Amino acid sequence: MSTDSEASFTINIAQGEIEFLRKKLELTRLPDEITDAGRDYGVPLTDIRRLLARWKDGYDWKKHEAILNAELPQFTRKVAVDGFDELDIHYVHKKSKIKDALPLLFVHGWPGSFIEVRKILPLLTAPSDEYPSFHVVTFSLPGYGFSSNPTKRGFGMDQYAEVGHKLMLALGYHEYVTQGGDWGFYILRRQASLYGGTHNKAWHTNFPRALPDVEPPSSLPNPYDGLTEVERNGLGRTKWFRSEGRGYAIEQGTQPQTLGYSLADSPVGLLGWIYEKLVNWSDEYPWEEDEGLFLSVFTSRYMANFSVPTVLTWVSIYWFSRAGPTASLRIYYERMHEGSSPEETHIPMGYSYFPKELWRVPSRWLQAPNLVFESEHTEGGHFAAHEKPELLVGDLRTMFGKGGPAFGVVPGKTGYNAEVRHPPS
Amino acid sequence: MAAETPFKVSIPEAKLEILKKKLDLIQLPNEIEGAGWEYGAPLSDIQRLTKYWKDEYLAKWRDHEAKLNEDMPQFTKDINVEGFSALKIHYVHQKSAVKGAIPLLFVHGWPGSFIEVRKVLPLLVQGSADHPSFHVVAPSLPNFGFSEGPKTKGFELTQYAEVCHKLMISLGYDEYVTQGGDWGMLTTRKITQLYGGKHCKAYHTNTPTGNPPHPIRRPLLLLQHLLFNYSPKEQAGLDRTQKFWKEQTGFFAQQTTMPQTLGYGLADSPVGLLAWIYEKLVGWSDDYKWTDEEVLTWISIHWFAEAGPAASIRIYYEVIKATPDIFTTPVAISVPEGISAFPKDNVVLPRRQPEALVSDLRKMFGKGSPAFGLIVSKTGF
Repeated sequence: MSTDSEASFTINIAQGEIEFLRKKLELTRLPDEITDAGRDYGVPLTDIRRLLARWKDGYDWKKHEAILNAELPQFTRKVAVDGFDELDIHYVHKKSKIKDALPLLFVHGWPGSFIEVRKILPLLTAPSDEYPSFHVVTFSLPGYGFSSNPTKRGFGMDQYAEVGHKLMLALGYHEYVTQGGDWGFYILRRQASLYGGTHNKAWHTNFPRALPDVEPPSSLPNPYDGLTEVERNGLGRTKWFRSEGRGYAIEQGTQPQTLGYSLADSPVGLLGWIYEKLVNWSDEYPWEEDEGLFLSVFTSRYMANFSVPTVLTWVSIYWFSRAGPTASLRIYYERMHEGSSPEETHIPMGYSYFPKELWRVPSRWLQAPNLVFESEHTEGGHFAAHEKPELLVGDLRTMFGKGGPAFGVVPGKTGYNAEVRHPPS
Repeated sequence: MAAETPFKVSIPEAKLEILKKKLDLIQLPNEIEGAGWEYGAPLSDIQRLTKYWKDEYLAKWRDHEAKLNEDMPQFTKDINVEGFSALKIHYVHQKSAVKGAIPLLFVHGWPGSFIEVRKVLPLLVQGSADHPSFHVVAPSLPNFGFSEGPKTKGFELTQYAEVCHKLMISLGYDEYVTQGGDWGMLTTRKITQLYGGKHCKAYHTNTPTGNPPHPIRRPLLLLQHLLFNYSPKEQAGLDRTQKFWKEQTGFFAQQTTMPQTLGYGLADSPVGLLAWIYEKLVGWSDDYKWTDEEVLTWISIHWFAEAGPAASIRIYYEVIKATPDIFTTPVAISVPEGISAFPKDNVVLPRRQPEALVSDLRKMFGKGSPAFGLIVSKTGF
């Protein structure tokens, strides 16, 4: 039996690293910009100037680091992956007070990180009679955050799924459900195929990218009939993303190392590269007003201390990441080169549709026998867990709660207290 | 003809200082084991190049500069551009000793620069009874090298062509021929459309584009494609083109859509800029044995560019926005056209075989060949 290699983890970036970043920021050389460019050519120079000024002077990483450590109980443990060297996986693990809470694995994407669990964590683990509670696990994908990175080629969807699955088993969650968007979608879809039924009992995504292209399934009659306005808008946004918004994905999928030199060497380069997505992919989320004031539980403690935008913390996690920001790009390369084929899953599946998500095709195109839950929202974008935590958690509570289509999917772990589950006769 | 304003590359000390400081603070990524070129520019190459840049090349910059100035006589001139502010254009200009030499406009592409004329220049201006000679003008396109760039939107091929054409006219070359590859091909092709016949008398390119077989647009070609095999050489070319489109067009997708976002890293990181360009220099050439010095001189021209390194890539955005079908719409060239096809080209650079390129130009314009004597008083002899 393997020894439990879990170690408590605290983010603790060395002073030397912080100093090095400061020196680089001081030396930043900015480009010029086309007059009245707006966002047409990419991130506006005024945005970068403003963020850079705060990063150089006024952003205290150590303060933010302490807040992350206080909010998120973190650990590391060794995870073996077939055909690859053992990885050191960084993760967040928080149990609900409810003993039979539903074990949930949350998987982030790019340019996200484990930080995306921040707002949903207290909501998911909150105990209540009204809705189910969850034990929550999220990990830094290999090559992201404070996980180590694979050093050999070919670490693809199977391997990412294997890591998440093995982590859940190691934590004693032999049966669990999953939630994710962006790479979380691709990874969890594979995970549902590989471990579905026996271990992975249901999955949910806010990025239902089930179709390979913006084309309806060939078997569907009259796919464009009766589309709602939301669906028409969604198709429009999807087409925009496909033609204007995928340069980064093509580069990362073909020459990640080439791009990676500028992201590893230039903090402002990294900032621009990531910030563009935060803005373009979200539903007008007020990133720069987001000082991290998430819930009433926290505001009284932190309101006076916050002086920095969340943007810089997101980007700093990449800058200070264990493997460096370049490693995070390789998932695109591996996915592109492993080739994609249609993937069906057979465990209960739920979709949440947010209007500013990048891929939105009509629901009718996405129907599947195991699609048991769908929820349409009028606001929110790609970073659902961060932009609309209440809406996303609301969907999970409905899907997995009493009367919901996936209630009781993990036997014995309904998410409620036993007394509630079995009313006295 | 107005007097020319000489120009010498002379980078201010302050800029060299900043570069030195940045090179001292370089942070490199890790790499997949045994990656080779699969994931992009290899770490060992970039380590070697940055070390050389830091320890040797930059310290000798004034020597490199002097050599650039020695090899290529340079000038600047303000050129008016309709709908835009006037731009100070940097260019190389060398006249042949042969009075009747053919005026030749040589236009570079990306990630090239005016430096691409360096090796062909002495060969082109060389006088001989056996081959024609040329007066050579090689501008830095706006946003490249030491030319200024436009500050407002919409500066596309019409404007690039206008700048180059007006430069030739201002130098007294009312009639001229052109040579161009990559963006130089597209620019000079535009010149033939706007100024062909009257001013531009002939057009030569080393990066010919073609349009694929298509049932409606090119039916005969489709028939040929289906019925006949390609020669091993043709097949190799097709395979190479496929590989390029599949694996090497990330830069194109990014530069045509969000050049500013990419530009922050290119402007701020010398190693970022180095890798971005170096990958193309090696990937797009035919096992050309780039010396580290050559590579760094190419990159330095971008690093020290008048408009900064982030501006040159805007050509991708502006041209594709203005003409999204530019690579698929056939253009009939109205003037005599010459093509040199190099086996390891895809769509772009480089000028690995200056002798071959020059030899082709000499054949195209030589006595007894179709483009001979297009400019009556300037036969090249």
